[in-house]
Amino acid sequence: MAMTHLVRWAARAPAPVYAAIGPGRQAEVERLLTRPGLNRAKTPRDAAILLVAGDLPSSSLDALNRLHDQLPRPRTTLRWLDGDQEAIAHRITTALRALCDGAAGEDDRLPDTPANEWKGIGPHGQGGKGMMGGTPYGRPMAMTGKDVRDGLQLDRYTTRVGPFAPMLPPGLVLEVTLQGDVICEASVQAAPFAQPAEADAPALCAARMLRLLGLDAAADRVIRGRPLRAAWVTGAVPRGLARINDTDARDRLSAWLRSRTVTVAPPDLAALLPGSEWSEAMLILASLPPSALIRAARATEAA
Amino acid sequence: MIALLALFAVWTGWRVFRVDSMVRASFALMLSFVSVGAIGVLLSAPYIGVATVFMMAVEMMVMAIFMVMFMMNPAGLNPMVMVHQHRLSIAAGVLAFVGLSAAILLSPLPSDPVPEGSDVVAQLGHELLGPSMLVFETAGVTLLATMVGAVILSSRQGWFGAADHGSRPPDLTAGGDPAGRQPGDGGGHGHHHHGGH
Amino acid sequence: MTALLVLAVLATLLGGTVLAALMDRAALPLAALLTRQRVETEAPDRMNRDLSSAWYLALAAIGLSVVPFAPGLALIDSPVGIVIWGSCEALVVVTVFLHGWSPNAPFPLIGAYRYAAIGLPIMLPSMFVLIAAALPAESLSLIDIVESQREIWNVLRQPLGLPLFLVVALAMTLRGPMDYADAADIATGTSAEESGAARALWQVARLAMLVSISAIAATVFLGGPLGPVLPGPVWLWLKTAALMALTVWIGNRVARTTPDRMLTILWVVLLPLSFLGLIIAGVMAL
Repeated sequence: MAMTHLVRWAARAPAPVYAAIGPGRQAEVERLLTRPGLNRAKTPRDAAILLVAGDLPSSSLDALNRLHDQLPRPRTTLRWLDGDQEAIAHRITTALRALCDGAAGEDDRLPDTPANEWKGIGPHGQGGKGMMGGTPYGRPMAMTGKDVRDGLQLDRYTTRVGPFAPMLPPGLVLEVTLQGDVICEASVQAAPFAQPAEADAPALCAARMLRLLGLDAAADRVIRGRPLRAAWVTGAVPRGLARINDTDARDRLSAWLRSRTVTVAPPDLAALLPGSEWSEAMLILASLPPSALIRAARATEAA
Repeated sequence: MIALLALFAVWTGWRVFRVDSMVRASFALMLSFVSVGAIGVLLSAPYIGVATVFMMAVEMMVMAIFMVMFMMNPAGLNPMVMVHQHRLSIAAGVLAFVGLSAAILLSPLPSDPVPEGSDVVAQLGHELLGPSMLVFETAGVTLLATMVGAVILSSRQGWFGAADHGSRPPDLTAGGDPAGRQPGDGGGHGHHHHGGH
Repeated sequence: MTALLVLAVLATLLGGTVLAALMDRAALPLAALLTRQRVETEAPDRMNRDLSSAWYLALAAIGLSVVPFAPGLALIDSPVGIVIWGSCEALVVVTVFLHGWSPNAPFPLIGAYRYAAIGLPIMLPSMFVLIAAALPAESLSLIDIVESQREIWNVLRQPLGLPLFLVVALAMTLRGPMDYADAADIATGTSAEESGAARALWQVARLAMLVSISAIAATVFLGGPLGPVLPGPVWLWLKTAALMALTVWIGNRVARTTPDRMLTILWVVLLPLSFLGLIIAGVMAL
């Protein structure tokens, strides 16, 4: 009895969708996910439906499979190649209802085993030197290194983020070395997917920054063309972040909120990100219009 | 009840040395102190007991943060051993145990129960800010000054530039040579820090 | 009487959590979470992962049990009620840290120590405003603090107190401008790796903590169960619900700045402000 109520409620909840956005589809997906019956999941763990929009290049198929396996069961993958928003929204709700009605959902695409065997070299079976570092299970562990701010010996942790990370532009793969949440080194492993000029629309650009500021409802309102209802929006962005052509991140956000398009010269990402904290770095990336970011990342990737 | 809490305190204290992650060790120690705090509450010392819980939660949090800062080693993948210098620690442990047991057994313990309805918290406050005020405040301010001083001494960024770059003393004459040792003789490693903040 | 108070605390916590879920429009998504599977990360700290949500919920319950439901009537009638609440706040920071630590993944860990960095300095303004409220009552007991507000509520007597405490409430319930643990830039941080029922439980604990801290704020600043005509518990519920709505509203409307900047604001603005409030309250109480 309780179970049937639960299932009925679950079917009425907004469909939690995690989008893997391919080339040219960023603007459409961002507009789609503001629709009332849909919910933009902030992590794949919170989603039931994986929306694959557009044709993904073969280089990111492996990442897509890993992303797919991160969704909790029961889950469904929907491909959105073309067609209008009505049709895909309808397909999403139908798929969610099928899952709630007890559809089995999809199995894992990759084997659920460690990438490597356990390799202990320390006296007590640790991975690396002393009790730190090394690559147990093929996972590179943190190792102490000079802190970029105070020169103290603090742990450095290197990891790759992307190409479908919720806080990064679609397609971008960053390899970052973190100390706490301070970025010590950053390199672009893959540039973001090409997007049409539509992705530079002021409302979409503003919404990306608003989501980082914790203003999801306001972001949805801005995309739907309604007035922003939030306080301390531009003030929350620190001054001097990613200053390019005499505009910093805060200036660009306020221009976008006044529906003005912003054009900036592509900056040098490898110089821009190190030294900033993770949240600042994400604001920096979101404060660049996708066209400028793509050119910047391609230049860095080639270098 | 007190016996149960005491047993729990001892067990969690033992776990500190048996678990294989720094974070678990920190918070096992915190649980040990929390149960000591609860014993304090049961012994009619509510303020000291609850304040112990409060202080230990904050302190162990800071300790765990530093552990993660220096060894960002998520649980389980890299097991750790919490025990080092076996002989020394065994000797120190035995010595401390014998000493504390002797202190408990040999000293005459007072046995005047707290009268029903007496305002122990107010009494503690009058004691701390009355006769013991000098000791209490001196200790408190000294500790605070030590902490602030330690942070200032270890900080790289300073009022007159980075700490490892050497400072320039005031000039002997206007526009002339600086007094004392010349900067750049040592200390600086040529590693320039571009302040992003 | 004790049984009745236990019942009152549990009913308030349950009803309040449902109300908070409705305010957040989270009721249906929470139910939906229960239909999905829980995903395991590699080599997690299982014990702490399972315990952290339970701790959070338990701390909300302990915090609520020092709140007087009628003048002179609280489940835990302690002479140091406010310090018990302070310990709950300190343990919340530990709990959130453990929640981010245990999945053994980078984003939850970043959320965990980011929250510890914000959570520790926020203890100071929190304690200062609560002690300032204890000064006119000349007692650390919440029952006496309620009694001291018979003539004038603390929200009017100490106008700095409630706004500062609302900042603490946002931080303790991981909400809006103070949600540094579960922020969007780290894919919901400490809960980034959680799915299904485990995720739902953490969200429920957050909502329960909103009930608890709003009840404490209603007691300390709005006179708790004091009020004409209606019985004490009803007044407490009304005031708690109003503060919950206010906190949810602020959480949805105010932007979150970067942790680095928030730390500066905490140490340079909020801490001196709360200290000023304490000094003024102390001089007035003389």
